[in-house]
This record gives sequence, C-alpha cells and structure tokens, in this order.
Amino acid sequence: MLPEQEKRISDADLTEKTKEQLLKYLNGRDIPAEQFDTILNRVREEYQKTRIEACEAVGIIAAQSIGEPGTQMTMRTFHYAGVAEINVTLGLPRLIEIMDARKEPSTPTMTIYLQPEYSGDRDKAREVSWQIEAAPLHEFGDITIDMENMQIVVHLNTAVCDKRKIAVSTIVETAPRKIRDRRHYRDFDYENNDQDATIVFMPKNRESYQNLFQLAEHVRNVIVQGIDDIERVVVRKESGEYILYTEGSNLKDVFDVDGVDTTRTRTNNISEISQVLGIEAARNAIIHEALATLNEQGIAVDVRHIMLVADMMCMEGEVKQIGRHGIAGEKESVLSRAAFEVTVNHLLDAAVANEVDELSGVTENVIVGQPIQLGTGDVKLIAKPMN
Amino acid sequence: MQSYTRYERARIIGARALQISMGAPLLVQTTRIDPLEIAIEEFQQNIIPITVKRK
Repeated sequence: MLPEQEKRISDADLTEKTKEQLLKYLNGRDIPAEQFDTILNRVREEYQKTRIEACEAVGIIAAQSIGEPGTQMTMRTFHYAGVAEINVTLGLPRLIEIMDARKEPSTPTMTIYLQPEYSGDRDKAREVSWQIEAAPLHEFGDITIDMENMQIVVHLNTAVCDKRKIAVSTIVETAPRKIRDRRHYRDFDYENNDQDATIVFMPKNRESYQNLFQLAEHVRNVIVQGIDDIERVVVRKESGEYILYTEGSNLKDVFDVDGVDTTRTRTNNISEISQVLGIEAARNAIIHEALATLNEQGIAVDVRHIMLVADMMCMEGEVKQIGRHGIAGEKESVLSRAAFEVTVNHLLDAAVANEVDELSGVTENVIVGQPIQLGTGDVKLIAKPMN
Repeated sequence: MQSYTRYERARIIGARALQISMGAPLLVQTTRIDPLEIAIEEFQQNIIPITVKRK
C-alpha cells in the first residue's frame, strides 16, 4: 500500500477501530488507485449505514436488545459455573448484579496476570501466589493448647516457612498484631522466642477456659501471610503463561505485590475498580463484565447497547445502579420519577418542596400530552426561501 | 442536496402534505390526487420550501 493511501485511510471519517482493521487488512497489498477508491467508498458507505440517526430512541432500543436475550438467560441457567475450580456467579444473577452496581459481587474474583519474569516459571508464579493467598497461622506450624499452664503454644515449622518464603520473625511479629488489629481481640499477652520459633499466647483472664479456647481460635485463624480478603489462589497456565485466579478480591493490595502485572490484572468487583482506578476504568469494567456474562451464555448483544448503559451508570462520576436508588430515582423531573415507582410519595414531596417540572424529558411530555423530544417530535421545521 | 434523517423526511413531507390538503398551490405538475403522494413527489424533486433547523 502506498503511504499516501495509508494517509487517506487515517484521515478518513471513520472510527479508529475500522481504520485499524482496514490498515491491517490492506497492509502489504498492491492496490491500484481506482480499486482503492472503491474500497474506501464502500467502507465509508457501510460505516454510515451502521450509524444511529439523530432523534433515534436509543435507550429504548438498548433496553429491549438487552432485555429480550435476558429472558432466554433465565430459562437456561441460574447456577454457578466453575472456572478453574473457582465458583463464579454467571448468567442472569450476575447481570443483575452488574446493573444494580452492588458494592460487592456475590463471588468476588480476580484474574491476576504476572510480569514476564514471573509468568513463564511455575515456581515463581507459585511464589507470587503465596504473597497473595491468605494463609492462617495453623498452616505454618503446630498449635497446642496447654491447659495446665493456661496458655497456647505455637511451634512454627521452619521448613514450611522457608518453602513459603516468609521469615519466622515476620510471622512472630505479625500474628499478635493481626489478632489485635484485624480480629479485634485484645485480652491476651504473648511471649516469643525467635530461636526455637515458638510463640506463647496467654489470655489475660487466667481463670476462664472459655477465654483460652476463644484465644486459641483466633490464634489458629489469624492471617499471617498474604492478603486478608483473598481466600484462595489457583495457578493456571493459559496460552503459554501462568495466570492466578483468586477467590476474593482486593485490587489495591494485589497491585503492591511484586511480580503482578498491574496493566492486565482485573477484578470483577466494579465498585472496587472505580475506587482504585477511577470512573473510566469502571465504565470499561461494566462493559467488559456485562459482555462477558452475555457471551458466556452464547448471547450476542451489540456493544453499543451496553456502552450506553455503562455511560448512564457512570455519567455522574460514580457508579450508579439502574433503578430506584440510582439513575431512575435521581431524575430531574418530578413527573418522570412519579411515573417510575412510588408515585404518590414523589408527587407529595414535590408539592411540599414547591418543585417545578421543565417538561424537557420524554415521560413528562407523554403525561401532559405533548409531542415528545424523539423522532419526528424533535424535528424543528423552518421555511426555506424559494428561488 | 442536504441529507435528512428518516424523521426529518417524514416531518417535512407530513407538513407539506398538510399544506397541499388545505389547498396550497402545487409546485409540481402531476396527475396524482393524494396530497401525501404529491408531497413525496415534491420532496423527491427537492422543491419543498421547508427545511429543518438542527441544534
């Protein structure tokens, strides 16, 4: 392809993606000027056909285009499907979850990609996974309850500690601190002995067996390595690199772990993404998650419908749900809100607050019986001078 | 000729058909009777003295 032809493509009135595809497809081919014109014109024509005309009711079309396949989803699954031994909510429940903008999904999971130095080597990937997977103290040694002296003795197994790449001193330091800070249990003292790798916990109340057993429970389950929210990590090899799948999600802490590729790592917790990476990332996450959920069911919905939904949800700078507590509930117009749900309350509140309705939306104008701002209703005619 | 969306086309033809049905002088020579058909014919020849105002 000639450089001037390439320039004509990149200057053309097309979307970036179409230009990219066109360049990729025509690259390395020798195209006569005449044919090139035909190709470019046809592509342009085709692109114009796919565009939405002004005044089109895109919201309604999006709602129906997602809603109709949604009815098919209900019939097919309401179950969980396993990806790499990890349960992930899929199908309609997941779609509802996305649209509802829940603070936490019912099955938070992460897909953690590793940097090139780590992704090729199983052992290195495993090392990263140990930094991430929450490991309770009882995995690092034996915990015995010494009833006679009313204390709990932890013998750390140095071999395990070495294998997991964590220093004994670190465990000795973290365990009591985490019981206090994370588990909010403070009625105990402890003594540690770094040489024989033991920690001795003593409850403050030396009389009560109940306290002793309570403390033992905390000691056993305190997380000493990894990230608290991430309960399980599975290492899998996919297309030549090792990828970590997790149960539980904590984007911020995972990003701090060495070896994690922060550019590709993702979570299915959308509100977490919006907090850590910002609203634009959350918008992309909504699009990706919704599309992935639909595609997994073998349902093809045009991205643009989902993009519209995602745009509406993220428009105000935070992720808002579709429904009473989000987009529909915070509309400007009283009549529009009243038409949606709890009609009387909205009208009453509006009357008390002396609200004014500008009648600028669709619903309001339908209610008062005026032409709506859609389709032919939004076209303003003017006289054209005759010559 | 300016390109119109289908809504604009419908609106222009509709407005012109109303004028014709109420007795406005025609801008084309035609054998048709139906004002809507006459309006469409006028539109195709781009002689309707109406256009749209875009935002």
